[in-house]
Amino acid sequence: MEKNCLKSKVWISVLALLVAMPIFVVAVSWFFPERELWAHFSTILLPNLISATVVLLIGVGVGVTFLGTILAYLVVMVEFPGRQWLEWALFLPFAVPAYVLAFVYLGVFDYSGYVQVWMREVLGLSGFDIRAGSWAIILTFVLVFYPYVYMMARASFKRQKVNIIEAGRLLGTSPLRTFFKISLPLARPAAAAGLLVTLMEILADFGVVSLFNFDTFTTAIYSAWGDFRSIEVAAQLASLLVLVAFFLIYFEKKARGQAKYYSSDVVNKKPYRAFGIMGWLISIFIFSVFMLAFAMPMLQLIIWGWAYSSKELNVRYTDLIISTLVLTVSATLITVSIATILALPNHCKKNSSWLKSVINIATLGYALPGSIMAVGLLYGINQVSAVSIYFGGQSINQIIFGSIALLLFSYISRFMAIGYNSIKASAEQIKPMFTQSARLLGVSRLRLIWQIYLPMMTPGILAGGLLVAVDVMKELPATYLLRPFGWDTLAIQVYELSAEGLFERAAIPALIMVLFGSVLMIIFQYLDKKS
Amino acid sequence: MNIKIRIVPALIVLLLVVTSVGIARARSEDLVTVYSSRKEHLIKPLFESFTRDTGIQVTYLTGKGGALIERLKLEGKNTNADMFMTVDAGNLWYAATQDLFQAVQTQTLENNIPSHLRDSKGLWTGLSVRARTIVYSTERVNPVDLSTYENLADTKWAGRLCLRTSKKIYTKSLVASMIYHHGINKASDIISGWVNNLAATPNAKDSHIMNAIISGQCDIGLVNTYYFARLITKNPNVPLKLFWANQDTTGVHVNISGAGVTKYATNVKGAIKLLEWLSNAKAQAIYASLNKEYPANQNVISDEVVSSWGSFKQDKMNLEQTGILQADAVKLMQTKGYR
Repeated sequence: MEKNCLKSKVWISVLALLVAMPIFVVAVSWFFPERELWAHFSTILLPNLISATVVLLIGVGVGVTFLGTILAYLVVMVEFPGRQWLEWALFLPFAVPAYVLAFVYLGVFDYSGYVQVWMREVLGLSGFDIRAGSWAIILTFVLVFYPYVYMMARASFKRQKVNIIEAGRLLGTSPLRTFFKISLPLARPAAAAGLLVTLMEILADFGVVSLFNFDTFTTAIYSAWGDFRSIEVAAQLASLLVLVAFFLIYFEKKARGQAKYYSSDVVNKKPYRAFGIMGWLISIFIFSVFMLAFAMPMLQLIIWGWAYSSKELNVRYTDLIISTLVLTVSATLITVSIATILALPNHCKKNSSWLKSVINIATLGYALPGSIMAVGLLYGINQVSAVSIYFGGQSINQIIFGSIALLLFSYISRFMAIGYNSIKASAEQIKPMFTQSARLLGVSRLRLIWQIYLPMMTPGILAGGLLVAVDVMKELPATYLLRPFGWDTLAIQVYELSAEGLFERAAIPALIMVLFGSVLMIIFQYLDKKS
Repeated sequence: MNIKIRIVPALIVLLLVVTSVGIARARSEDLVTVYSSRKEHLIKPLFESFTRDTGIQVTYLTGKGGALIERLKLEGKNTNADMFMTVDAGNLWYAATQDLFQAVQTQTLENNIPSHLRDSKGLWTGLSVRARTIVYSTERVNPVDLSTYENLADTKWAGRLCLRTSKKIYTKSLVASMIYHHGINKASDIISGWVNNLAATPNAKDSHIMNAIISGQCDIGLVNTYYFARLITKNPNVPLKLFWANQDTTGVHVNISGAGVTKYATNVKGAIKLLEWLSNAKAQAIYASLNKEYPANQNVISDEVVSSWGSFKQDKMNLEQTGILQADAVKLMQTKGYR
């Protein structure tokens, strides 16, 4: 066994390090210091950008945690009118790309949008600049990213034994007190895991912040690259972002328990029933979140897209849809396969801090802005080619450039964290007892994997796969930079049209994308219910 | 244990299979490949028309200017691109400094495109002209008060000005022209003045600026004229008008979109043919009507809407300057807090 353990350790390490390659490439940039640009950045830009980023992280962090947890608690623990469908409706906003929600919100709530026009003309109030300060962008981010916390917290609440809560009730504690004293502490690790993903998304975001013209740390990365043509400084700044992500993961690990996106024990019996006014108030609250995060933006997109549908929808959309689906399916399959290998229970991992850290590094890509990851990859491959040519070999550029492999690689590296976290949570449920008894019965490891591990991990693998698929479909910056000819996706169509201010036309690809995402989320829901 | 050893090679094989699917298509004389930072919906009709005229197919890849330049640099000799097409003279200048173009000097191009819109060594050719000027509310601004870009820094515009974000290439080039005409110190005062006069956080898009003026958030702004053309085509009664800036001084700030044949083009002949075709009257008319820009070919009449604004004096600053001074312009805006 010792020898086998070593072998699998090597394989897993190689696989994990391969996934983490863009991060290492980005780190290599520190060998090329650029003092002058750093002097400008550190005195003029960074102090403000860092404080703005911190404000955003705290604001959105608090917001998604509160909203996600409260919604999850209500749908799991309380029976109220409309709960059945609101519970799944709350998943749908996950299918809406952040930049799409941002451009809809700007269209509706900006000074010239309907809401402010109505406020001025009907209510006689004076208008305001929604892009001033940070509250509007924080609210937008909260509505886009609360599903991460909601999904995690909901799964966790579902696993809480109703009898604990019933015991509390029999002892006369109020529902509010039960929530704070029993449910919330138990759900904390799950909420923390959802929060972590949200924070990494925000660190890497470029679309929403640029629409709001809100400067964050990524602004500096793009400025170094776009304005000052220094890939090195851009990569150096990006590597600092990865460092922050590393610390976030470290703190989250301390807070985490068996957090996961899906639930296995379904609580059919609700401990609380909200009757009358109270029940309706809860329904209205949840319905308004759904309205703001999904229904209203979709309605706006439909209104925008309607007039242009005959003009914009053409044969080309078949290509766009096929490219999007092929990329999504292949990236998801590969990501999930690798994540499964990394997450398979393995007696090596229990006491190997090396393996644990290598796998952790493999999940850091989520905090890298997509375009920095893409440039990192191009840069890395170019270096490999240079070395290869130096030793009289061939350049590998022509094989790699313009190929779909590089793009898939960037998806895998970027979304490994999403797939892995979900799959690992299901792997952790496999009790060592199963393995030991199977082993005693002389089962080979192969059979152990096929007949015990994989079936038990299936819910996690499916959940992870669906989440990765939605994320890949929405991905923009890496796709924009790395896609080969003829591989335009729906996300790119949305970007190209909206970048020119053609929101009416951009609404059409955006709607198609949300439709696909929603279908995936409904499948996710269905599987979740079945499990 | 074995399963892992098998899964990993299987994954590698899968990757290779998928790779081969995406490997660049076979090259031929009948195919020109273009990297373009002009958006797809603006170039596709042109390329389709070119194919109908010549039988030469065009494939293209769109992306952000800076990113495509990096990609071309990294791809080097192995690039698929025969032509690189982008907006902003600064980007063309930068691509030229990175040795990405080859010189093309033909009679057709010289006849069609005036020399100040072409690179002196023939590395790139301007294909359309875009003017950035003042747009104002006809309800709240008396055009008598308007004069120059510099004048927008005057305190009389305090709380009345809308600008586009400093991250956009059009803003960077305009500020570069301020540095070119006035030197860094005076330019710095102008930028400070603009920032102090802002009515709202700088907008991400020109269309937002015009909406802001219509709804009364501000009274005056700077836009590329084709955005204004789009707006009035859709809604002819908007209470907005264009004002040609700096007519008594340096002239309206203009920029170009343009293209060049890449250094390592495989189909040089086809690429030159495409470039020449793009400069001819037919293509220039499509350019002018598709995006309501000014044709680079002076023999072509602008779109109807566009010509209704009358003629104006252009800033004749050598467009290379927008590239040379761009980093200074960005530093200046960042220092003055122009988001």
